[in-house]
Amino acid sequence: MKIVLRLVWFCALAALGFWLWTICFPSAEKVILRKVASLAATATFRSGDGNLTRAGKVQKLTAMFAADAQIIIEGTGQGTRTLTGRDEIREAAMAGFGSLTSLKVEFLDMTLRIGDDRQTADVSCTARVNSGDAKDNGVQEMHFQFKKIDGTWLITRAETVKTLS
Amino acid sequence: MQNANEQSGRPRWLKIFLIGRRPKATLIRIAVLATVCLVTFKFVLLPIRIDGISMQPTFHTGQIECINRLAYLHHEPRRGDIVSVRLAGMSVMFMKRIIGLPGEAVAFHGGRAFINGQPLDEPYVKYPCDWEHEPIPCGPNQYYVVGDNRSMPFEFHTQGRAERDRIVGKLFL
Repeated sequence: MKIVLRLVWFCALAALGFWLWTICFPSAEKVILRKVASLAATATFRSGDGNLTRAGKVQKLTAMFAADAQIIIEGTGQGTRTLTGRDEIREAAMAGFGSLTSLKVEFLDMTLRIGDDRQTADVSCTARVNSGDAKDNGVQEMHFQFKKIDGTWLITRAETVKTLS
Repeated sequence: MQNANEQSGRPRWLKIFLIGRRPKATLIRIAVLATVCLVTFKFVLLPIRIDGISMQPTFHTGQIECINRLAYLHHEPRRGDIVSVRLAGMSVMFMKRIIGLPGEAVAFHGGRAFINGQPLDEPYVKYPCDWEHEPIPCGPNQYYVVGDNRSMPFEFHTQGRAERDRIVGKLFL
């Protein structure tokens, strides 16, 4: 009986230790998926959010990208738009946060592939976007490229994917 | 005496109503039903809620429909089929109608669809359309999909060639 109890205690302690380990040292997969979720949360804002909140979100959003990051957007009927570098991304984000009343961004069906070097990663997902003015949701397939720079996973490339060619 | 009978009868009636006369058999029935529902709605019939105007007037926002994922087990998609086209996954999908098959060229003139130069009869297109577009050739594994509502400008309507592996299934019924 004592041995069984000791075994149970040992298993419980091992489980607790493993759980604490994953909390303190999350896997690269977890960090990147959290980063994408955080990107959606940062890009989301409500009509009640003040200018200070929006400016803070712009800063946080820009910091998620590498200094030479590239965003390539091709929307239905809008042609292709390319943003290169943090400055252009910041300007576009500021324009978006300033012109829209509200925005809700969600990233669904995320699939992640980490490179063999464990320093790069690709994330594919579907973005569902709803701006307060629009009745319908906009959906767009997206692809993100991540790179570990100075110990931090940053987005080096974000582009829309054409589901229908 | 009558009151005592009623008092003792009510919980028994409730018990029979909730778990039946044979609780074991009821539990087995519940388990079978749950399994059948889970398998059916996960792997065979995919319930979807329509959002958007691109399939009007055939379908409207808020309608609930089902996609039959086994529809193309024995044959390939056909012209006129309403299909679901997946994006990165199956949480959000496009619901469109197939008008062009692999190897065909789809064009629009005066709002009418032309397949390899021949006009396509489309009774389901009810709204006026003025689309003009040069022939778009479909590859050997591509289907041209488009919505029934073509009242908006061509470039604002999500349409085009979908790879076969993106077609999840056909609208049920």
